[in-house]
This record gives sequence, C-alpha cells and structure tokens, in this order.
Amino acid sequence: MTTTVGIRSKDGVVLAADKRASKGFFVGSKVVQKIFPLDDTIAVAIAGQMSDAEYLVSLAKAERRLLALRRGYPLSVKESAKLIANIAYSGMKSYNPFFVELVVAGVDREGAHVYTNDMSGAITSEDFMSSGSGSPIAYGVLEQGYKPDLTLDDAKKLGEAAVRAAMERDPGSGNGVDVVALPNGRWHAEVN
Amino acid sequence: MAVPEQGGRMPFFYNTEGRLIQVDYALQAVGRGSTTIGLRTKDFALISSQVKPTRSLLEPAEKIFVVDDHVGATGSGYIGDVNTLIDELRLAAQRHRLAYDEPIDVGTLSRGLSQYLHSFTMYTVRPFGASIVLAGADELGIQLVQVDPSGTTFKGSGFAIGQYADEALEAIKNGYRPDLTVEQAIALNTQAIEGVNGGKSQIEHGIVRKETRKFERLALVEN
Repeated sequence: MTTTVGIRSKDGVVLAADKRASKGFFVGSKVVQKIFPLDDTIAVAIAGQMSDAEYLVSLAKAERRLLALRRGYPLSVKESAKLIANIAYSGMKSYNPFFVELVVAGVDREGAHVYTNDMSGAITSEDFMSSGSGSPIAYGVLEQGYKPDLTLDDAKKLGEAAVRAAMERDPGSGNGVDVVALPNGRWHAEVN
Repeated sequence: MAVPEQGGRMPFFYNTEGRLIQVDYALQAVGRGSTTIGLRTKDFALISSQVKPTRSLLEPAEKIFVVDDHVGATGSGYIGDVNTLIDELRLAAQRHRLAYDEPIDVGTLSRGLSQYLHSFTMYTVRPFGASIVLAGADELGIQLVQVDPSGTTFKGSGFAIGQYADEALEAIKNGYRPDLTVEQAIALNTQAIEGVNGGKSQIEHGIVRKETRKFERLALVEN
C-alpha cells in the first residue's frame, strides 16, 4: 500500500507521501507520518510494514550517529542508503526480511541525492523515484513532469501532484499528502 | 589455598589489608593522566581537560567527547582506555534511544558505565586505567558525575581527576560559587588547571546548559 515519491532538484531534494495506513480493505489510520528525518540533511519515506520500516529507520539513525561521532563528520546520502541496504540485506539472508521499500533522500557535500532501498537490500539511485502500491501511477506523473533543471519549489509541486494522482486511483493510498523539502547547503562538515 | 599477597600470584584478590591492588594501580594510572575538571551549577555543567603539551608537527589529542546531544564526557588516564569507555557510553546512549525513543538520563548512563568498569575488577583482567567525568542534562536537571576504575560513582558539583587533582580540586573549592556564570566557570577551571601545572596550558572545554539541554565542545584555546 502507500505512495511515496522522492525527487532530486538542482537545489535540494523533495519527499512526498500519502497519509493512509491500510489494514487489508480497511483504512487503519488517516494521519500516518510516512516521512522520517534521519537528521537535518537526510529523510526516509517508508512503504510496506510500518513496524519494520520504523525499526529500520531508528536503527539506521543510531548507527549513523555513532559513526559520525567516532569519525568526526556525518554520513553522506550514499553511505546512509548503503547502511540501510546492508541491514535489509542481512535481514533477507537470515530469512527474516524487513518488508519495506524505502526512498532515502537527502543533501550532502556533493549535492542532492535520491535512493530507493527494497527488502532484498538492493539500492538504486535516480533523479526521481517512487515506491508503494501507488507508485505506477505516481511514476506516470513524474515521467511527464520531471525536468533536470527543476527548482526546489517546482519539485515540491511535482511531488505532491504525483502522490495526489496515485491517491485518486490507488485504494491503498489517500487521506492527504505530506511533503518534506531538504535544501542544499544543510550539510555540515563538523559533528556538533 | 593460595595466600593472596602484595604483588603475589593472585593480584586480583584482596590483599591482607583488604585492598584490591589492581584497582589501586588503576587509580594511580589515572593520577598520572592530564588534569581534568568538572564543575556544575544549577544552570550548566562545564568539563575542562588539559591537553598534554604536544611537540611540533603533532595534532593535539581530543579530550572532550560528545556522547549524545545532551551528554558530554571527558576522562583522565590511559587515553586508549578513555576512548574505549567513551565508545561504550555512546553505544549505551544510542541503544537507549532505540529501545525507548528518548535520550538516556545521566543516572542510567553512568550506572551502565559503573557496572561495566566493576566487571573488570572481578576477574583476572586488567581494570581500566581511566576515570570518566560525565556532564549532561536530563529530567532531573544538570548532572555532573565522576566514575572511577573500580566502578565507584560520585555525583556532585566539582570534580578533579588526573595529575595534581587534589590541588586542582582545592582551587575549585575556593573559587566555587553557586551563581557562577559560564565565563567565570571557564576562567576558574582554566586557572585551576594552569595553576597546578605551572603556567599556560592548552585546555579543551565542553559545556551543557539547562536552557538548551545541548552539550557542545568549545574550540581549543591556543595559549
């Protein structure tokens, strides 16, 4: 269920997600937060089993904080996506997979990045990505509307439009859209 | 039954005076470390540590450590042991966040460290040659805690460990007032460290304030 979207623009990244939690054919909640910040620079949009996703995100948060404190500078978006992928991979290999599909988006020294992680531990990076049951519909809007020179504001509008389109036709998505924008330049070389 | 004696075959047992000599030696190792001070008022806690004079071409060692957003620590003794203990603290802080989704309180954090250190006094292993001073903010307010190699924990408003700790503590005691400002506290700690070490020193400070509940390292002051 769920529709989440991540878009890379020239001055930051955008994450958008719907707010519905499904319990089979029943709407379990209409106010679910599906976008979780790891810190000021990186956020994760989650689709799939909520409990798995939340646990994975908190674990990644803790591991990121520890490594940043030990080495003195924070993790890049790529490092964070790989960290999450490795946890997901070890889950799959021990026959206890995390039933999740995550969009990891953020800004670092190199600029804006969007990655998707699935339960097998695979990672892919593209200019825009979507996950969840509404993603085929969201991708339609994204393919039509995406341009590489999108501003952050344009990306916010496109992200919201993509999720809204999916909410119209996907019964697993609905009840409003959350949008998070992370502008470039939030990355700090120093920890604390 | 082997008779445990001073420096004998069973150094991890009590000696005839009822002392654990390995733990005593660990405390002696701490006493050779660089002078380190913790100071607390109801509004903030300040930890300060002398960075041992380094030779040229050498970067000064890090002595003030961020444990989590709201807690910092410093230590004295073998720096490798200090680093290991700091890592243990950071791990405990993140484990707590994972389990409860809340920052760890200083009491729980120091108790964990104390138990960890204590376990090394029970078996044929070397106890850690390091004492740790923790400064943090939690539900109970601003906290300052010292933990020794034996696992002994002290809570209070003024601590000194390392070289000339007794003299430094005396200086802190004389200059302490409950309404100390941050600037005055930094000056007091600096004075105490420099006073007992005979002249200008490189000193690193870390502070946690009540309003922000954030621990921050202050830039190393070059003297």
